[in-house]
Amino acid sequence: MTQKELNNQRLAVEAKQKELQFFTRRHFLKESAMGFGALALGSLLGSCGNNMGMASSPVFDAAHPLAPRMPFFPAKARSIIYLHMAGAPSQLELFDYKPELAKLNGQDCPPSLLEGKKFAFIRGVPKMLGPQANFKQHGKSGLWVSDYLPHFSTIVDDVSIIKSVTTDQFNHAPAQLLMHTGSARLGRPSIGSWVTYGLGTENQNLPGFVVLTSGGNNPDAGKSVWGSGFLPSVYQGVQCRSEGDPVLFINDPQGIDRDLRKASIDAINKVNQEQYKEFNDPEILSRISQYEMAYKMQISIPEVMNINDEPEYIREMYGAQPGKGSFANNVLLARKLVEKGVRFVQLFDWGWDTHGTSADGAVDIGLINKCRQVDKAMTALILDLKQRGLLDETLVVWGGEFGRTPMQENRDGKEMPFKGRDHHAEAFSMWMAGGGIKGGTTYGETDEIGYSIASGKTEAFDIQATILNQLGFDHEKFTYEFQGRPFRLTDVSGKVITDILA
Amino acid sequence: MKSLLSKKYLLITAALVVLIAAAAFLFKDNRHIDYNADVKPILNKKCISCHGGVKKQGGFSLLFREEALADTKSGKPAIIPGDPDASEMIRRLSLKDEEERMPYKEHPLSENEIDVLRTWIKQGAKWGTHWAYATVEEQEVPKGEKRFFGLLPAKKPEWVRNNVDLFINEKLTEQKLTASPEADKATLLRRASLDITGVPPSEKLAQQFLNDNSVGAYERLVDSLLASPQYGERWTAMWLDMARYSDTKGYERDGYRSIWRYRDWLIQSFNDDKPYNTFLIEQVAGDLLPNPTDAQYIATAFHRNTMTNDEGGTDNEEYRTAAVMDRVNTTWETLMGTTFACVQCHSHPYDPFRHEEYYQFLAFFNNTRDEDTYEDYPVLREYKNEDSVKFEKLSAWLTKHVSKEKKTEIIRFVKTGQPAINSVVCDEFTNSALADTKWLSLRNNGSTRIKHVDLRTKNQLMFRYATGVEGGLWSVHLDSINGPLLTSISLKTTKGWNVATASIPVTDGIHDLWLTYKNPNLKKPEQNGANFSWFYFTQTFPGNDRPGYDSAKQQYVDLISSTQYTSTPILLDGANDLARSSNVFERGNWMVKGNEVKPGVPGSLNSMSSNAPNNRLGLAMWLTDKKNPLVSRTIVNRIWEQLFGHGLAETLEDMGTQGIPPTHQQLLDHLSWQLMYKYNWSLKTLIKEIVLSATYRQTSIASKELIEKDPSNKWYARGPRVRLSAEQLRDQALAVSGLLSPKMFGSSVMPYQPEGIWLTPYNGEKWKISEGEDKYRRAVYTFWKRSAPYPFMMMFDGVARNVCVARRINTNTPLQALVTLNDSSYLDMARNFAYTLKQEGVKDATQQISKGYEQMMYKPISKEKLKALTDLYTQSLNTFNTDKLKACEVIGMDSKHNNPETAALVVVINAMLNLDEWITKN
Repeated sequence: MTQKELNNQRLAVEAKQKELQFFTRRHFLKESAMGFGALALGSLLGSCGNNMGMASSPVFDAAHPLAPRMPFFPAKARSIIYLHMAGAPSQLELFDYKPELAKLNGQDCPPSLLEGKKFAFIRGVPKMLGPQANFKQHGKSGLWVSDYLPHFSTIVDDVSIIKSVTTDQFNHAPAQLLMHTGSARLGRPSIGSWVTYGLGTENQNLPGFVVLTSGGNNPDAGKSVWGSGFLPSVYQGVQCRSEGDPVLFINDPQGIDRDLRKASIDAINKVNQEQYKEFNDPEILSRISQYEMAYKMQISIPEVMNINDEPEYIREMYGAQPGKGSFANNVLLARKLVEKGVRFVQLFDWGWDTHGTSADGAVDIGLINKCRQVDKAMTALILDLKQRGLLDETLVVWGGEFGRTPMQENRDGKEMPFKGRDHHAEAFSMWMAGGGIKGGTTYGETDEIGYSIASGKTEAFDIQATILNQLGFDHEKFTYEFQGRPFRLTDVSGKVITDILA
Repeated sequence: MKSLLSKKYLLITAALVVLIAAAAFLFKDNRHIDYNADVKPILNKKCISCHGGVKKQGGFSLLFREEALADTKSGKPAIIPGDPDASEMIRRLSLKDEEERMPYKEHPLSENEIDVLRTWIKQGAKWGTHWAYATVEEQEVPKGEKRFFGLLPAKKPEWVRNNVDLFINEKLTEQKLTASPEADKATLLRRASLDITGVPPSEKLAQQFLNDNSVGAYERLVDSLLASPQYGERWTAMWLDMARYSDTKGYERDGYRSIWRYRDWLIQSFNDDKPYNTFLIEQVAGDLLPNPTDAQYIATAFHRNTMTNDEGGTDNEEYRTAAVMDRVNTTWETLMGTTFACVQCHSHPYDPFRHEEYYQFLAFFNNTRDEDTYEDYPVLREYKNEDSVKFEKLSAWLTKHVSKEKKTEIIRFVKTGQPAINSVVCDEFTNSALADTKWLSLRNNGSTRIKHVDLRTKNQLMFRYATGVEGGLWSVHLDSINGPLLTSISLKTTKGWNVATASIPVTDGIHDLWLTYKNPNLKKPEQNGANFSWFYFTQTFPGNDRPGYDSAKQQYVDLISSTQYTSTPILLDGANDLARSSNVFERGNWMVKGNEVKPGVPGSLNSMSSNAPNNRLGLAMWLTDKKNPLVSRTIVNRIWEQLFGHGLAETLEDMGTQGIPPTHQQLLDHLSWQLMYKYNWSLKTLIKEIVLSATYRQTSIASKELIEKDPSNKWYARGPRVRLSAEQLRDQALAVSGLLSPKMFGSSVMPYQPEGIWLTPYNGEKWKISEGEDKYRRAVYTFWKRSAPYPFMMMFDGVARNVCVARRINTNTPLQALVTLNDSSYLDMARNFAYTLKQEGVKDATQQISKGYEQMMYKPISKEKLKALTDLYTQSLNTFNTDKLKACEVIGMDSKHNNPETAALVVVINAMLNLDEWITKN
């Protein structure tokens, strides 16, 4: 986008802001004249957002920051489930079939692949490492998938595999940040925050942006990958947990039951109404409605976070076991959440960093285990969404933060005890399904050993642009003013991958 | 006669009309066009996006005057001062042909806009300075209400108390608003206390003020609050966001960083009312002051709060550079209210800063010794226990027996470990590596290189290493791997890190050093031999002919290997061969280096004074020069924002042309001028002036009409009403419930936090709830972890402190309600509060509730509010009488307070700690 367009847009936003400020206050005054319809407030404000007819970037409204809003244009997807395999899974063992690489197995890496390149751990001349998995073509579309993912191979006709993703970051934390915030440095809002900022929350009794983690660790980049960066903190992801409180502080304190909690909130709001009568500050009205919403969230969140109420065959389909912080449980929860109107569900599964320093991190041992932990569940997710008629409006994205080298890792120039692959920024695979994506397709290709992109180069920005596009946003026009300029998720890059759209 | 007369009149009228028209025409051309008010807005809106810092379409830029008057691509200038008709710019704006007309493919400028530009060119196309870039001048204080069109002396309006009010009054009159009456004493007491100290007043102070009806009672209250030690804690909480303070390093592992001494330095400095100019000089360049004290070194940790990346495989230079750029951006944004970050890629599109100027400014910061090392070198060591005694002894011995220069050099090394060479600078690795990209690791027959080491006059090498394998021989060669041997050392095995010393022959000149390592005991080629963290080429310990030499030398060696110290990362410049040069980064990319630059400040602001050194100290002097237009305005604006909820210029982070213009520029300038020239940079004096104003003291009770007229209270016709900050909220609740610990200073503490918040990879560090009163310290002491900040802080709009965020934006969400309703810490507070109320001998629940309310709000509770709360009490009591187990759960089975009445009171207090009036400053 040109500076001129940026500038015009900024002016349009300013005008809109003034208009909205006026509108909001007037609305509040009207509202107060009608008495306190605290609960009605949320839904009323929802329509107020719609009336604005978002042609340009949304405007932050501190009084009701989560009111639902319309995107720029009609959306293909209503919600997103983003499955991030933190640590970076090996594309060469999963989706990117390279028979030529098998022939080179054990040979010294040719100098042409090393010249001018930087690796995280490979030093000197490493050996080439052939694919450790067996590949076959699957489905009507004949997509290649390895035997590490036996379940997933049955649904290839519903997914589009992008084999040509590339990044310029070969360390976990910066690469994860780039994938989710559009910048390798800390400080920018995550994609889920952007979406929540743009669309608000459809179900006011649930957060609009939920995060679920598994694998025992937070992602390397920490909570910043679901942080709100410079956007108001209200747009940060809300971490839901399968152990402990499903959301921090959602449970009533011991001894205070639902009735007492209701009574407390009623008393608080009565006193606050007295306060409003004296001060006439609309912020007090907003607080009253937030307390009502909090009460409702206390019911709806534990409800949606409980997988015991799912039928046995559904739990079995996902491989979910109640009470565990597993990926399978989280995927099932993700489905439940989008069903209830949550806009963005972000999953992080930790433990995909297969360097070959241990059996767990070996591409022929640990990686198979990790695949077992996710294969069934992610397949079930697609099938389950489909059988509920939700797949069309739910975009599922799967990927890591970078790829793995076709060479075997030789950390510090030494031979490793297990077969591992180093971080590889140049090429990796992701897949998308549902939400207006053309199933049974692949996009882009790598060269014959999976080292570089041969066609269809796809950056994190393109993935982000595509996600935003499916939600009804032009990524170039979706901005927020910070540090003197309009910022956007895709910074100065990004193009929608139109080839994979249905 | 009549007709004659009318004819005459007609003529006169006609003549008049002609005259007026002519006058208007003349006037139109002659009216003074102000660049800032009239021209710049048009240029910014319509022209600069194509003809500015980033793009210079047609070779034409309107950012600087000399650019605008220079030849364009066509070979001639587009603006010819004094001659609008010959100026291509005016021609292109006025064309009908859409292909040629400017703005290109946009709506044409209005006639009026073109006219403004035409007149401006006619008047010489003079450039002006944006208000925030002009020197702060003394302001004429408005006199008050004009009487008889200004013929009689102006009258000071009755509500006015000081000069602040006169400025406010002027705008109120313009806006046809009137000031509100003073708030009641209870509200004022709470407002001033929370604003000045961040906590409610002590009971004694509260009673003193509430019972003091004499003149000056409020001023005495303000004085007491300003003098209380809690003042420093409150304003430090504000500064920590600006300093992006954290107890951890940032990326991935996000490990511990010991930097809390800097937080304590801030508290102490605020409490001492250290003049703001000194306060800044010490933080930006304390290390460069003559004979810096420990405190002055610690102050420089301000810019060591940048993040480092411990993740294996990262490029240390990349993260060092990122940290330096962050220092530049933070300096501008927090200290000068200017967004400078965009200049790192291109000249500022709207403000007068050039691309190259960013890197000249960066050059001030680029010479510090920190290099993304795991240990965060350089750190200041404050020795503890017996090592502090050793340090004192060594220091005394050196004073007595060696030259001043030599003493300074030794003390500096013992205190800061500088000037050592960090092993991260090694390159040319064979059978060696930067292990996990942190330390040099040599294997059998391994080698590496350190470039460009000044060996002149050096006869000793100290180095920090670790090895677990016997028999390693480590050698240092000059100039090449087979070059002359400087020294060869048998490395003794160590338990962890060890510092060793070796003699080296004095060698002339600057050399590349090649380090080699052999160890026959290493059987496998991939086995590590020895790790190294730093190298220090120096001279042998001096004074060997002096009494006490041996023990002094031993003290020196012991101290270098000591672990008995408090460590704080600091800034220290590299000298001689450790100095760095700086370059422009093309389009902001650190890998693409452009021209070399020397340190310098932007040409559009005040210049550095001639006696200022061209380093960070000179920069600090420039910042705090009274001619610097931004520093005083920025802090005044920020303090105003802290007290009123928004700044006089709302965009604290941007006072440039893209920021929101100030509502009260004269007041902002007046206070800035006073701060520098009258208050001698005393922030306490500034705060006192503001809080003593009638403007601040107004009630925040407002009519619906007033709220409609001025919804955001930007004209200040009522007092501030703002939700408290996360820190104020926590501290206030702890205080009223009697739990708040008054303990000040020390390493960060870990109050209650739910399980499972910290799950950082590769990091065994745990949130371990602090013991005793440390559980109940003020929020400013809470341990801050960047990758998983304390949830309470984040829920109430805290910032993650990865980079500086100059302004918190208050939100209002259901998740906040859940915290204050359900967080165990809040229940803990409610219980304690209830017990205190019961112990105070008030039997009746209604009285207990009233009393509790009074302790919170300093005034009696209204009938209606009391009823709502006593109803809640009754319902709770019923519940607990029916189900005694629930009461046990609320209170705790073994507690002596375990009874339904107390449990019911806890429920009510829990609700009271959620009241809007309690979480808001009224």
